[in-house]
Order: sequence, then structure tokens, then C-alpha cells
Amino acid sequence: MRRPILAALLATAPAGAFAQGGPLTLAMHYNQEQAAPLLACLDIYEDETGQAAEYRQISYGDYLQTVLTGRIGGTQPDIYHLYSIWGAQMAENGVLAEPPEEVADFVRETYGETAEAATIDGTLYGVPTEVSVYMLVSNMALLREAGYDSPPATWEELREVADAITTRNDQGRIETAGFAFADSAAGSVHPFYALLASRGGEVYSDGFSEANLDSPEAAAAVRDMAGLVEDGITDKSVDGFDFPAGGIGMIVMANWMKSSIQEGLGSLDDVAVTPIPAGEGWRTLSYAFFMGVDSQSERQDDAWALVRWLNSDASADESGVSCMGRVLSGIGALTANASDNAAMGEADAFTQPFLDALAEGRATGQPNVMQAAEIEGMMAEAIDTVLAGDAEAEAALEDLDGRVEDILFEFY
Amino acid sequence: MRRRGAPARPGGSAPYWFLAPVFLFTGAFLVLPLGFSVWLAFTRWNPLSEPRWVGTRQFEFLLTRDDAFWGTLGNTFVFAGALVVIGVPLALGLAFVFSRARGKAAWRAIYYLPQITSFVAIAYIWQFVLDDRYGLANRLLGLAGLRGFDWLSDPTMAMVSIVLVMVWYDVGRNMVVFSAAIEGVPKDLYEAAELDGAGAWLQFSRITVPIIRPAVVFVTVTSFIGGMGFFALILAMTKGGPRGATEVTALYLYEMAFQDLRMGRASAGALILFAIIAVLTVLQFRLLRERRG
Amino acid sequence: MTVADEFALEADADVRAATGAPAPRPGRRRRQAMGALKYVLLTFGALLMVLPFADTFIGALRSPADVFANPPRYFPSDPQWGVYGRVFAELPMGRWIFNSVVVTVTITVVQVATSAMAGWALARYEFPGRANAFRLVVGAQMFPFFLFVIPIFFLLRFAPLAGGNDILGQGGSGLLGTYAALVLPFAVTWYGVFLMRQFFTTIPEELIEAARLDGASEWLIFRRIALPLVRPALATLAVFAFVYHWNEFIWTMTITRTAPELQTLPVGIFLLENQFQDLDQKALQQAALAVSVLPVLVLFALAQRFFVSASMESAVK
Repeated sequence: MRRPILAALLATAPAGAFAQGGPLTLAMHYNQEQAAPLLACLDIYEDETGQAAEYRQISYGDYLQTVLTGRIGGTQPDIYHLYSIWGAQMAENGVLAEPPEEVADFVRETYGETAEAATIDGTLYGVPTEVSVYMLVSNMALLREAGYDSPPATWEELREVADAITTRNDQGRIETAGFAFADSAAGSVHPFYALLASRGGEVYSDGFSEANLDSPEAAAAVRDMAGLVEDGITDKSVDGFDFPAGGIGMIVMANWMKSSIQEGLGSLDDVAVTPIPAGEGWRTLSYAFFMGVDSQSERQDDAWALVRWLNSDASADESGVSCMGRVLSGIGALTANASDNAAMGEADAFTQPFLDALAEGRATGQPNVMQAAEIEGMMAEAIDTVLAGDAEAEAALEDLDGRVEDILFEFY
Repeated sequence: MRRRGAPARPGGSAPYWFLAPVFLFTGAFLVLPLGFSVWLAFTRWNPLSEPRWVGTRQFEFLLTRDDAFWGTLGNTFVFAGALVVIGVPLALGLAFVFSRARGKAAWRAIYYLPQITSFVAIAYIWQFVLDDRYGLANRLLGLAGLRGFDWLSDPTMAMVSIVLVMVWYDVGRNMVVFSAAIEGVPKDLYEAAELDGAGAWLQFSRITVPIIRPAVVFVTVTSFIGGMGFFALILAMTKGGPRGATEVTALYLYEMAFQDLRMGRASAGALILFAIIAVLTVLQFRLLRERRG
Repeated sequence: MTVADEFALEADADVRAATGAPAPRPGRRRRQAMGALKYVLLTFGALLMVLPFADTFIGALRSPADVFANPPRYFPSDPQWGVYGRVFAELPMGRWIFNSVVVTVTITVVQVATSAMAGWALARYEFPGRANAFRLVVGAQMFPFFLFVIPIFFLLRFAPLAGGNDILGQGGSGLLGTYAALVLPFAVTWYGVFLMRQFFTTIPEELIEAARLDGASEWLIFRRIALPLVRPALATLAVFAFVYHWNEFIWTMTITRTAPELQTLPVGIFLLENQFQDLDQKALQQAALAVSVLPVLVLFALAQRFFVSASMESAVK
């Protein structure tokens, strides 16, 4: 038994898709509750076409690792739902299939510029779905209590307002925090992107051959963030995800937190969404997910048909919104699907500013660089080191810049 | 350690049949994987494509260029070392008290509880307890007017927390091991000591500890070596964070393999870590033999 | 991970083997020695052992109102006992428990069988290669588990003619995505073989000789005479194997990431992490944790004798 295995290992032609003839598998990070409209759609699809499809939930934080492990193990799903920054790595390794021409046309017609999120090195790999934009989200009740009627428009104002909100308990722990970063890798990296862009900085240049993390703009952006910790407004023991509990004044956060904020605070009436507080020239970060198909799926055509169906009028209910459109609006997420946006009409006061930021071109898409997840992990570590006061911004970023360029050097 | 009185006889082919599963297992799950692992260590392999032979480059990279690897080795030694330095004396003292207490079954059951709990459950249970602002630990310290600690968000404290939770997990078992050894100490020694007026502490330090020394050495060395390759709790509790402060080598290699898909480099790293552990194991045997005289 | 446990298992018996510590003599101990202080210490330690579990059971009962209060309330104002129903309704708890039982029971049975057979051969037969076989059993214990994760993953993946693979191991998923992948790598426990060998060396030779004179086959002697005599050892090994594999998670997670239908309790809870991210889902997570702890707790309550007294007996050997 030994020889065949070794021979197989040496040859290592990648394995074929696992399931044949059974249901298509669709792997996404939405939990059962969030995906409920989708599950209903899959039933309808089976009734209409006879093609069954199975939903598989994979935790967001584990998604890339899980699908890659599945791919190397030959147990990959047919349809992926990918955070755009995972795309480069998957495309480079031939994991993703190119869509048939009619799906590509559909994407270009329906999604406008957001098609870029699903495009790697000029090749389109799927249908964009959830779009997220970062904005300043404020708990107005806390702001008013501290004597402010409107959210800050500049970082200096933010420091002042946040400082007025912050209270500490008898043991000196922050009880109500003026501002908070979310406790995740993205929690410090994504606001950093927004502040960097507002200062006119960019993370990469020249087709990813160089990193600009040692630029003065980058250092200034990190210093802005670290200033909040120095002032005692926030620290790592406060978690931005606790915003819905009402103990946090402001966060720089994406729209997808809408439903849990609504649940926690009871309503969105007293929540304000305003531009990144960086003056007139503010810019922000957007990122997107897209649905793609595995290049070794035995039923690529069936898979693309389902992807297209889920994202187009074909799956629309009486309101005219596609199946994925309903999933996204259910969780307070944005879509770039023009026909869904038209059918949904006016957004509410919480969502509209996010849409405006996209429409005004304020948002820069997150770069689809190789090993993006690894790089962002390093960025988070460097920024957190500065936030904790364990390093100066310049030194930490210079070190980071070198490490990131080491990785870029492997690929570009 | 075979007893003299147990004669062994030839049994024709019978012993080979009895051993057949072990032989098969050895081939499939010991020899083959180890060979494969060694071969992989000399390749660069992202399993989505073909492996490429790169000679000793992975070893060179890890040992000469990868500061993070050295950092994780440091964390590994700190973790394993602290486990022993805190865990062993604690278990020893507890065993001494325990061996003289009544209601042993009940005490043992309570101290054994963590042992029957999965590391996933332990990690999450403690995440709640150690929550910075509203966890039980800081709430209790708060009642005493103390600020408490940033248990899991401060890099230094995170390592302390991991070690403490691991000690919490292990103390019951080590206590049982030590108490078994303590029960073996001849009672007349204590009685003699008592006649001489020696108190509990003197009895413990002058009689108990020297006599059960082999057990102490054994537990010390095995838990140190075991700690060197351990990462399940850390993966579930801190994922190596914050900022890599609890990233031990075994976890670093696991993530390198299954997250960044660097199978060759991860295999090389595993061999390096194994070499370190092997050296320590040999030292352990030397030490034990000396102790036993 | 697992290594620590393996080592601990070894420590348990080897220490006693090494030190010749006899079994505890329960019952009379000198009472006056340290007076009340020792009970204060033991009680304090016991509180530290139990409080984290209590924290989880209490947390499971909090309502969203408790969680969303600022600051959040510690004791539930309106205990939500329904959360235990939700655990089974909203999470694939039944599936996880089923898998945990199937995998753990299978591994336990297989390990006890392979350990007993190999231990018997090493203890009671003289045959060419015996010394080397024994060296293998002792030496193999040295290899830490992390060394095997990567290679065994791929060996299972490229197992020929399994899971849609061709004779070269190509084309399918091999043994990944099957129960075999969860069981086979644990089919033999070196420590178990070692332990059983120690036990079998103590069986009186007369019994075996008598059976052989009656014309019993070697298998029959093993099965009918030897095994019943080492029941306590079998029970010890079984209990340790059960607890260890009920809680094992690194290997099972690596293998079942993409096969939710094979996930066990700890793996399922670990991989559904983002299901529990929202504040109002924390109670659900804590309830799931409580449920995952309970089965072993019951087993422990029933079989404490084997956890402790049987393992003490092994110490005498």
C-alpha cells in the first residue's frame, strides 16, 4: 500500500470535486438565522429546477482556512462566498472557476464598479454580494448626556466628545467608553484604512510591488488612533462589539452591525451615522464579498446557474428583490446590485449615509493582494502594539513595512 | 520492569497475530507519516500545487530569518517552564494536605473536574471568567476594591492566564499522583519525627519531599516536555494573541500549515521542535536514572 | 495538546511503577495533624475548581435584558431555562453528541483490544523480534502528536481506492470525511500496550499451563483466561481513553472542518464561534458548553472508582 500513496503524493495533481450527483454545496459564513431567507430560496429552487442545494455554515474567522483545507482534502464546496481579500490567493492557486460569459455580462451590467471586488488581475471570478462601508456610528443618547448635540466632524472633535463621554468605575476601569475599537483583527485595521485614505495615503503602490506603511500618513493615522488610548478614552479591554449594550459612545464600524445595534438598543432612532471624522476630505474603506465557483466542481454550469438565480430577478419575491438581496437587507448589509437597490427604494436613516458614501465615491475598495489575510494579521499586531503604548508609531510601522514587503516580494 | 516470575514461552505464530494490529499501525501511522514528514521538510509545498524540492532552505529560513519562530520557541519555554514552576509545588502542597484529610473521594472528585472537560469548553468557560470588564474574576476583585487585571488583552497577563488555567487543569491529576507516592511513605517515620517534636512543615520538607523525590522529578520533567508540544487550550482561548504573546511553536506551526498552507516549512519546524524535545527527553532519562541511583 | 494528556497518563502509572508506591490505604488517617487549616485550604481550592463551571451555568440563564444592561447584570433577573431547549433547537447538538459517542466508543473499544492483544504477546511469549517490538512500544511514545498532523492528514487524503480515489490515491477525498479518519490514527495507544503488558506479566503461569494442557488454543487462553483476570486494567484504560477522546479536538477539527456531519461536541462548539459573537448569543454558547460538560460528568460520577481506584491498582504493578 506504500508505493501508490507515495506515488500519489509525488504526483499531487489536485483532487477532483467530492460530491457527484448529490446536492450542490454552498458554503457561507451567515448563521442559520441570517441565512433563513436563503434556505427558503434553496427549497424553491429545488422545486423549480430539481437541483438540490445544501447550505453549509462556516465561521467567518475560519472560512478561508476551512475552504482551503477542504480544497486540499478534496471535500470542497461547489460554491464559495468569499471576502474579496481572500480572492487573490484562491485565484492564484487555480481554485476559482471563471464564470461563463452570460454571468460575466450580468455582473458588469448589474454591479457597476463593485465588480472590481470580484476581479483579480483583470479577471472576473464571481458575483459580488455583501458590500460593507465604514462610517462613524454614534450613540446619541450618550453624546447628549455629555453635552454634545451632534457627532464630531474632525478627529480633534472626536477626542473631545469621547473624552466627555468616558466614565470610570471605582476601580478605575472604563465603564462608559467614549470610543472603542472592535476586538478583532479588522477592528483596528479597517479604521486605520479609513483614516489613512482620508489623509491621502495608500497601503500599496506600483501593482503591489511596494508597501507604503512607513509613510508619514500611515504614522499619523496610527497616532490618531493611539491618541484615544493615551487620553484614557478607550483601551483594549473595551470591545466595539459591545456597542449594542449602550456603554460605548462612538465606533468606526461597518453597516452590517445594524441588526445587532437595533436589537441591543431597542431602536436605531438615537443612533447617528456620519462621515469618518477627518474633515472635508474624508474618505473611507469598503469591502465586498462575492460568490464564486470551485474550478474542480463537476457541475460548474449548475453551480453558476444557481449563483445567478440567487442574485437576479429570477429569485425575486413580490417586492422585486432577489434572494441574496433579501438576505443582505435582513442583516442590514448593503448590496451593489442595481436592480435590488432600485426595488428596495429609499433606505432608512441608518443605512442611507453608507449608501451615500459609496455613491459619492468616498470609499476605497480593500486591495486584493496576495496573502492578504496574513498581511492584515501583521498590520493588526503592529497597530495594537502602538495602541497599547508598547511602541512608537514610526518604529512599529517601519518594521511592519519590511515584513509586508518580504511577503510581496514572494509574489510580485 | 518485567517480573521475574512471569515465564515466557514460544507460541508459534500466535504472538505475531496478537501483535498484527500494532505492526500494521506502525507502518501506516508511524513510519510512513514520519518519512513523509521528513521528505516534506525539504520541499516548498502549498498543497494546491506541486511540491518543490528546496533542500535545507526551510530550516535555514526558520533558524536564521524567522524572528517569529524564535519568538514562539521563547513562548514555548516560558509556558512549559511556568507550568512546572507553578504547577508542581502547588500540586505537591495540595497532595500533602489532601493525603491527611478526610473525605478523599469527594475532594478528589472536585479537583478532578477540569480533567474530564474538553479544552474547548475550558477555554470558553475561562474566557467568560476572565473577561476584562464583566468577568467573574474581575467582578470579585472589584468587590475587594481592586481594579483587577487585563487577563486576556494584555500580552504578559495573557500568558499568565494561559499558564494559570493550565495549572488549574492539571493540579488535580498531579495531586492524585503525588498523594499516591505520599501514601507510600512509611508512617513510622512521621511518628518518629513527631516524637522529636517536628511540625507539619518540617515533616513535609524533611521526610515527605525527599522520599517522593523520584515522583516529583518524573512529573516535573514529563509535564515540561508535554507542555513543549501543547497548544489545544491556547488555540481555543487566545489563538496565540494578543499580538503573538501566547503563540507557542506547535500552534505557530499548525497555523503555518493549515492557514498559510506552508506545509514544507511547517514540517521543518515540527522536526526542529521535535529535536529539541528529544534532547530534553534524553536529559530526562539521565536525570531519572541518577535519582534512582 | 494531546501530548500533555498522553504524558499525564504515562505519569500516572509510570510514577508509581518507578517509585513502587503502594495503593492508598483508605480509612483511618491521623486526624489531629494540621487541624482545620487543611480543610480551609482544600475548600478554597475546591471553590476555584468549581466557580468557573458555576459561572457558565449562571451565564447560560441570562436574558438579553441582563446582557444589554449597562453595566450588564451578573445574576439573571429572569432565569431563561428555555435556553437548554434552544441549544438543541438552534444547534446541531444531537448530531454532535451522536458523533462524539460513536467516535469515542469506537476508539475506546479498538484501543482496549489492540492494547490487550499486543500487551499479552509482549508479556507472555518468547519469539524472535520481541525485544525490538518492546523497544518500539516504549520508543514510539516519544513522538509528540503535532509531528503527525500534517503527514497523516495527507496520507488519509491520498488513501488509494477510498472515497472516490483511484489506485494512485487521486481523484477523490480518500478517507477524509469518513469516521475512519477520526478513528484509525488512534487505533493503537502505545501507552496502553505498555500498561497491559505490565499487567499480563503478573498472571500466574499455572492457570495458563492448565488451560494449555486441556488443549485450549492460544486465542482461547487469551480471551477466556487472561482477559478476565485483568479487568481492572481494561476498565482503567477504557475510562482514560474515553475521557481523552471525548475531549480530543485538534485532530478531529482538522479532519472535520469541511465535514459538519462528522463534527463532535467540542469541534462543533469551537467552529461555530461566530454564531456566538453577538452579545445576546453568549447565553446560548454557555448553555452549549454546559451541555457538553454534562455527559462526561455523569460518566465520572458513575465510574469514579475506575478513574481513581483502578488507576491506583495499576500503580502497584
